[in-house]
Amino acid sequence: MDEGEALEVLTVRGVSAGYRGRRIVADISVALRFGDVLGLLGANGSGKSTLLKAVTGQIRLMAGTVAIAGVDLAHAPERAKAELGLAIDGPELPSALSGWQYLELVASIRSCAASDWPCGDVVSRLGLSAWLARPIAEYSLGTRAKISIAAALLGSPKLLIFDESLNGLDPLAAFEVKGIIRELAATGRHAIVISTHVVETVPALCTRAIFLADGRIVEHWNTQELARASQAPGAFESCVMKALNARALHSATVA
Amino acid sequence: MRRDTFVLSLIWRETRNLVKSTSVSDLAWVVLGGSAFLAYGVGNAVVALRRGSEILRARQEPWIIVLLAVFALGLAGGVILSKVAWTRAFAPFLKALPLSISERRRMVAVAALSIGAPFVVLAGAGVGAACLRVDKPYAAAWGFGAAMTCAAGVASALFLHLFVANNEAPNDLSTPFANAAKSIPLPWLGAFDCATPAWLGVWACGLPAGTLRLTARLFATSFLFLLAAALAIGASLARHEAAPAAVAGMIGGLIAFMLSLRCHPLASPVLRTTPRGFTSTWLRLARLPLVLSAACFVGPASAAVIAEPSAWTTPIASGLCLLILNGVYAVFAGFFLNAPLLAALAFFIAVAYAGYESLEYGGAVIIGFAALIAFLWHESLRRYRHG
Repeated sequence: MDEGEALEVLTVRGVSAGYRGRRIVADISVALRFGDVLGLLGANGSGKSTLLKAVTGQIRLMAGTVAIAGVDLAHAPERAKAELGLAIDGPELPSALSGWQYLELVASIRSCAASDWPCGDVVSRLGLSAWLARPIAEYSLGTRAKISIAAALLGSPKLLIFDESLNGLDPLAAFEVKGIIRELAATGRHAIVISTHVVETVPALCTRAIFLADGRIVEHWNTQELARASQAPGAFESCVMKALNARALHSATVA
Repeated sequence: MRRDTFVLSLIWRETRNLVKSTSVSDLAWVVLGGSAFLAYGVGNAVVALRRGSEILRARQEPWIIVLLAVFALGLAGGVILSKVAWTRAFAPFLKALPLSISERRRMVAVAALSIGAPFVVLAGAGVGAACLRVDKPYAAAWGFGAAMTCAAGVASALFLHLFVANNEAPNDLSTPFANAAKSIPLPWLGAFDCATPAWLGVWACGLPAGTLRLTARLFATSFLFLLAAALAIGASLARHEAAPAAVAGMIGGLIAFMLSLRCHPLASPVLRTTPRGFTSTWLRLARLPLVLSAACFVGPASAAVIAEPSAWTTPIASGLCLLILNGVYAVFAGFFLNAPLLAALAFFIAVAYAGYESLEYGGAVIIGFAALIAFLWHESLRRYRHG
């Protein structure tokens, strides 16, 4: 491992993955360093969630390697996942548990306190206090997203992954979550991946972005390009729309 | 599409899609392996019928047992079918549609009875063919009787399911834990469920925020448990024999373990994306059910020792047997994850089949049984790690 790789929190090399022998994403290579915030964009069915499932060890890789904080996910899954914090999809949360019990469950696995967040009291910041004693089954979509984000941050994992976690959040909570992401990136102790359809949040929040189509990276933006795009209102959005339209046209031609 | 056949059509489409999405190699394994097993089973049955043809031709008792078994099979099949149809009738995407409870019940009944009908015919044909094989008089009547018995089993299970489910759930289709007034808090549960990962037992058993919902099913199950234990203990004490109470303790402990062990968290990304290994999580899931199983075993086992102090080894042996059976079932539950009923069915079939084969092949069957357990364990581990 060279010095560059040692600084990488997430190293994805030539990854192909899918379900039941069918490739959904192919030949994906991405590397994230401390302080990076990667925006993951793409149309529905482009492979964003499949890629994140592959990166978090939920599905088997068909090709390539994934390393988290230098630990190969295939060879030492438990050790690699120790540095991973994933905001679980709302319907996947344990609905029988109360919010507090869920936080305690995650905290016990990560060997930390159920209030050990890297950025203050996340429960208060997200307005979750009133909900903690109630079963998650009674939570709305937004409240589930909040508890999921709070749990992902427990124990300050180096790599944080938010798969469309901003969906359904109320404006105040969305603002707080964006603030938390910026704070964490600024500390230089975390790398963050955000998969989202809210295109306008990407230049404001991310230091890099990639655009997936048909399971491949077809466009990427570096820090400078994102900074330029964020200066003109709607510039990045129209850039992404162009990419989306071009892919739609390509798909129609192929069909 | 007619409303009454909606659930049936849904199940048919789901099955078709499942077959379509299964890889050719997996399908080949299922078809070839299943056919081989079926052929082997039929061959075995034919040989057994030939051996016992004299007794089977002359006596009625074995056929009464067969009819009882067919009824039990119909009952089990009916429970599964009702459950499958019921979950479809109350699927989230159907909740918002203007379908009344009675319409949904009708859809469940149509689906369960339509799918159950071929199995009823198969059961009747099987028993009829067996009667013909041993030259039993009135073979057609026996076959018809078996079909009717099987149908009675399916219908009873369906009726019970519709009755119980109708009383427990359907008025509120919005949240699974809406009926909070009937829940009692279990403050001591935290002490039992505090090991890493904390609250895993509460999650697995679906105790909403650590409370217990008082349902008719819970009362009925507890009553049956207590009644069976009391009868067995009474029999042991009255006859000064350890066996009835020891066996009842073992069976009660096993049923308690099977009813309380739920392994669905093993499929959840909540655990699969954490640095928690499969084995430790699986063992942790079995912890609370083991405590419950031990609690059900201790009473009758103690009574067994009191009834016949010289036979103290009997409850110890049944305890060891219970531990092994619990372990074996835990492997099945870990493999079938979200389908405890299927896990229980597979477990009983595997144990019964191993028992039957051991009559012919003796201890060698244990090797095959252990290989099956190892295979299920390996598959569960692989799925936990790689999906």
